[in-house]
Amino acid sequence: MHFKVRAATKEDCKEISRMIKELAVYEKMPDQVKISHEELERDGFCQNPFFECLVAEVPEENTSKDGFTVVGFALYFYTYSTWKGPTVFLEDLYVMPEFRGNGFGKGLLCKVAKVGKEKQCVRLQLSVLDWNTPSRDFYAAKGAQDLTDSEGWHFIRFDGQNLDNLANEAPKD
Amino acid sequence: MASFILRKAEARDVSDIMRLIKELAKFEEMEEKVVLTEKDLLEDGFGDHPFYHCLVAEVPKLQSSEGYTVIGFAMYYFTYDPWIGKLLYLEDFYVMQEFRGLGIGTKILKVLSEKAVKTRCSGMHFLVAENNTKSIEFYKRRGAADLSSEEGWRLFEIEKDDLLKMTANKSLCTVE
Repeated sequence: MHFKVRAATKEDCKEISRMIKELAVYEKMPDQVKISHEELERDGFCQNPFFECLVAEVPEENTSKDGFTVVGFALYFYTYSTWKGPTVFLEDLYVMPEFRGNGFGKGLLCKVAKVGKEKQCVRLQLSVLDWNTPSRDFYAAKGAQDLTDSEGWHFIRFDGQNLDNLANEAPKD
Repeated sequence: MASFILRKAEARDVSDIMRLIKELAKFEEMEEKVVLTEKDLLEDGFGDHPFYHCLVAEVPKLQSSEGYTVIGFAMYYFTYDPWIGKLLYLEDFYVMQEFRGLGIGTKILKVLSEKAVKTRCSGMHFLVAENNTKSIEFYKRRGAADLSSEEGWRLFEIEKDDLLKMTANKSLCTVE
């Protein structure tokens, strides 16, 4: 099946938002999506964007059963390792179920790797859920190491009231 | 009680930041993994498009046993969660051992939290090694959630050699 991987445009944000929600359903956390395409448009297409995005697109004659031509996406940004330098962090990678098995995920991942290489990134990081065996296997086949397993790294988060409490206690200038 | 200040790092601080990065890596038992140099830190943090922001803790009147005045730092940048938007990501956070227990770490965390809230971030994220029980307790006392334990998130990494193999790969798609 032929497809194209290209940089997302502001106009793609509605489709990207749709797929973000589909991915959240797959990850069994559908209620956690709080932002819409408007925030994506503002945050991804401003002067200093907070993320970059690629989309996988099929020709008109191969639309999804619901009529979509944008059928996959990869959302990423740049982080920094004090040990090794610039890193690309792959935040979301998703292909609609009916298009899987055709190399779309691989095409998106390879393009992210290429973009990272052009920006002198020394590695690519991502997070994946422990039960998500198909994804864990997909990344392992490309050489990914599970650093939670091998080095014991855990993701920690402060948000909501806990973040506000800390912020309110910050010393005044 | 030592008096200290927190301030934004400047280009002149890179050798102190490098020293503290290596101390933190040693504490994490991964000292040999630090390949970054002072030159990299300078270009990457104080050039036209900085990859990171940094706060330093300084003791202007006292000095550490080895003569340093910059005795702690926090390096952070902004990331993005497609579910909730902007996040502040705390990459490194360290206070020299002889200056711990004085409230410096707590103050750094509060200043970063305020920064996160002021810049419209929905949360502050970071990684901690599971054997670093003191740090985990420090964060949990302040309301942090361990997403690896609670939700099952695992950190994966693809290193340079494997990335290069992928960029050489010819796939069936057209890549623009």
